Amino acid sequence: MAAAAESRIAKLASKLYDACADTFDPDTLFYQPDLLDLEVVPKGDVALLLQCTQSLVDQKLFRLHQSQNRIGWKVIAREDAEKLSSLNPDEALVYNVVHSTGRSGVWVRNIQNRTNLHKSILDRCLKSLEGKNYIKSIHNVKAPNRKMYMLSGLAPNEDVTGGAWFTDGVLDTNFINTVAGFIEYTVSRKSWYEVAADRDRGRSAKRVKTATGKAEVNGEPAKRTFIPYPMNYKGYPSVEDITRAVNESGITPVQLHGESIIQLLQMLCYDKKLVSLGEGRSYKSVKNPDIIKALQARKPPGEGGDPAPLDILGKNGMTESPCGPCPNFKLCSPGAAISPETCEYFDPWKEKVLGF
Amino acid sequence: MKSQHAVELCTLLIEDNFGELFARIFSTLQRYERLTLPRLRFYSALSERQLRHGLTAMIQQHLVFHFTSIDDGNTYYEANPEAAYYLVRSGKILQLVEERLGEYAAKVMEVIMFLGHASVRHLQSIPELQTVGVPAAPKPAVQTNGVSHGEGDDAENNDVENNDVENNEMEVEEEEEAAHETNGDDMPEARPAPFHSTLKALASHGYILRVKDAIFQSPSDNYLDARRTVSAKSDIKALKGKKQEEAIEIATAELVNERCDYDLSAKFMYNGLPRGVKRKFANGSGASNKQARTNGVNGHHADDEDEEENDWSEDEDGFDNIPMESGLIVRVNYEKLDVALRNVRFVDLAEQDAPDATVEVYETLLRRIEYATPRCRTDGRKKDIPREGEEGKTHSIPIEVMKIVNDLDPDLDLTGAIGPVEPQSSTTLNTRGKRPLENGANGTHDDEDRNSIFTRMTEVNQHLSLLSQPPYNLAESHTTEGIKWYISFRDLARKLRHLELERMIESRYGDVALRVIRVLQAKGKLDEKRLQEISLLPMKDLRQTLATMQKGGFVDLQEVPKDAQRQPSKTIFLWYYDTDRLCSSILEDTYKAMSRTLQRIKTERGRVRDFLEKTERTDVKGHEEHYLTEGELVDLQRWRDLEALLLTEVARLDDMVAVFRDY
Repeated sequence: MAAAAESRIAKLASKLYDACADTFDPDTLFYQPDLLDLEVVPKGDVALLLQCTQSLVDQKLFRLHQSQNRIGWKVIAREDAEKLSSLNPDEALVYNVVHSTGRSGVWVRNIQNRTNLHKSILDRCLKSLEGKNYIKSIHNVKAPNRKMYMLSGLAPNEDVTGGAWFTDGVLDTNFINTVAGFIEYTVSRKSWYEVAADRDRGRSAKRVKTATGKAEVNGEPAKRTFIPYPMNYKGYPSVEDITRAVNESGITPVQLHGESIIQLLQMLCYDKKLVSLGEGRSYKSVKNPDIIKALQARKPPGEGGDPAPLDILGKNGMTESPCGPCPNFKLCSPGAAISPETCEYFDPWKEKVLGF
Repeated sequence: MKSQHAVELCTLLIEDNFGELFARIFSTLQRYERLTLPRLRFYSALSERQLRHGLTAMIQQHLVFHFTSIDDGNTYYEANPEAAYYLVRSGKILQLVEERLGEYAAKVMEVIMFLGHASVRHLQSIPELQTVGVPAAPKPAVQTNGVSHGEGDDAENNDVENNDVENNEMEVEEEEEAAHETNGDDMPEARPAPFHSTLKALASHGYILRVKDAIFQSPSDNYLDARRTVSAKSDIKALKGKKQEEAIEIATAELVNERCDYDLSAKFMYNGLPRGVKRKFANGSGASNKQARTNGVNGHHADDEDEEENDWSEDEDGFDNIPMESGLIVRVNYEKLDVALRNVRFVDLAEQDAPDATVEVYETLLRRIEYATPRCRTDGRKKDIPREGEEGKTHSIPIEVMKIVNDLDPDLDLTGAIGPVEPQSSTTLNTRGKRPLENGANGTHDDEDRNSIFTRMTEVNQHLSLLSQPPYNLAESHTTEGIKWYISFRDLARKLRHLELERMIESRYGDVALRVIRVLQAKGKLDEKRLQEISLLPMKDLRQTLATMQKGGFVDLQEVPKDAQRQPSKTIFLWYYDTDRLCSSILEDTYKAMSRTLQRIKTERGRVRDFLEKTERTDVKGHEEHYLTEGELVDLQRWRDLEALLLTEVARLDDMVAVFRDY
């Protein structure tokens, strides 16, 4: 009798599981009324329903959630259920905690707090779970020293990786510079009107220009002139335009999201290479394409070579005068050990400027 | 202006320009503040005779304020560091005047500057100013660099001063009569100069002002004196308590304003425009203007001057020939000239990215605004530059587009410099490309005249709105009763300051630092992590940059402890960038660098003293080619180049001082 009832419940439970898997997304939390609405359980028999769900929970096919004094469930895929059922109770506990944090990962100490397991047990569990390739250890940019875990099937959150600009938790400077150079040039091409001195040549120069300066330089300087567009010009590229251009250009191995691009655009604004118009709706470049090309070719970032003089902003009295960069300026006074009379910077400076 | 380095600099400038006696008096006065004559004699250890001579001449040059107290009958002397500082800017001012009003005006200005102040009658009698078309007396090579106080001037100047002093006692006003006797060398074959019209042009531009008694007293003396006068009035005395205080304040301010109203420009304005504004010549592109100017400098170009003269008087019906009242005493109006110099800096900003035509439109707008702006800051010189964020908005007067259109050179090509509204397509390109030519050809027809003025106005608006865009927002507009353009002075002055700071940061710490600074400026105080996220810099670079900048005093670190123990591990560290503090410390550094450069000139001069003494011998001077060997001539040229270089550097540093202190 009991066996028959059990097999009936098992059948019903499996039917209920199938119905749930069909109806609900894996991430949806459903409650008792939702299950009753599926009309799998005859006559809305609550006791029977609870027996079914209990059996499913035991089989790790349902995950139990408790929120606001109500009990809810989530569907677990059959493969995952198999995984779970192969685990011992401690491991399952740990697995659930890691699972619950999703893409942001969880710090080992937090797992410990939530599971109340002893450290050695916890370590053993983590090791075995990692060995079974159920969870993976991840690197958090914000807290590089914390050991964190997440499910092996998930890609880490942007908060964790630091966004598209991080590779293995380290800021990928070369990549950033490449994309930044490309964006600046692309925006610049749309922010300046090219006067028709040599139009066809100008068109053909559309090929991708990276910041490495390795791409061959267009061998016709000073043929083109650029003039600005009027105030009501609508062609300044928006974030979407730029994102599309970057993704189509093939300079990035992964698709970049708008948010990453905005981050980079803001950085370019701080570099005073771009200015944002209409509170970030569209962007305009400060320099015209030729100047940008020249600057990028002159200063290969990340490579050695001679440090090109930085005079993008121009000079002023303090940067030109020997006193400006003088390391002992604070000590200098007439008649002292360091004094204008004995200054050793003036002579080289004057020779450099006057050429004698 | 009372800091150590500023004081040092002022003394050096005076010594360089007027010699040791002045410098001694000046530094004593700066050290002890107000002094009576006996005290001054005691502290400076100079003889009474020397002191009297020195003080008289220094009062003439406005280097010293004096004030005779009614209470004790003593006359107090006080240094005027601002006037002393402006000695360094004289070259720049003369250059500006020459560009705006021509060579002769610059000459008049130079004479006024050289005399400190002068009456119209006296100026008129100076032989140098009576004629044009004759090359000026040989000047040291320094002048080519816009710094015009070489030794030649000094020596001469001292002569003049000393003569004056012997003839007169403390009466300053009478001095001028004697001055010209010393430098009376008549030039042959010269034409009468447009003296009065030039002087009026200078006056109406506000470049010179009327000298009144109050100008010889320090601002605080003026205030106290006015207050005393006001308090003695019977109607004020009748009031009591708070009311009396208020009434005194108001009346004092009025009286001070009245006494210190040196303005000459309003009197000589004509239809809201100053006289002698150089109209853009019909054929005048920038290049040909410049051509005319350089010709003028080389002398012997009477035609040039003639043309300019006619140019001014045509719409004023010969009014210019009415002489100015001869008793009027004038001096240089440095405050107004600062406004003009500041506008030059704004134009420089515009030139960075905007096309030439836009810059020209902007210059025209600025010129209009300059006429109506008496000084750089409305609160005047008394206060420091307001702290950032507390400066409020100071707008210039709004200028109608129509006025700008009228002032512009009618042949200036406005269309060709701005692209079409539609994104690139070959058809618009063609039509647009040819448009300016057509306009130029048809523009003169009567029918199209009205029409073309309207298109012209839209074009001017286009150009100015180009400038109103970021990054600099050089102009702003409002559209009540037609579009009017104005300048937001405080914002732009702040941008100039930031630009100077950023230039220094770029040259010292590289462009990474620049990005960090700008992030900090935009966001306020940030911890390292947020800073990294925004600036997208590797932590290592970021920390290095921040550390070196902190060492240099450009960024600061604030600790916010989470608990009372202030453990480093439980403390938040926030980086910030305090521009106000930085500006004031850079200003001090700039003063110091200027002093050091001037002191270096002295050292360099000491090195070649014997040789220079030979070149300055009265028989050699002026006949260098005749008396010196070839090698010596080369040496002389080298020395002049070097001196010019160092003085130019001082002038460049002065540009920074102007940005940090005056604008």
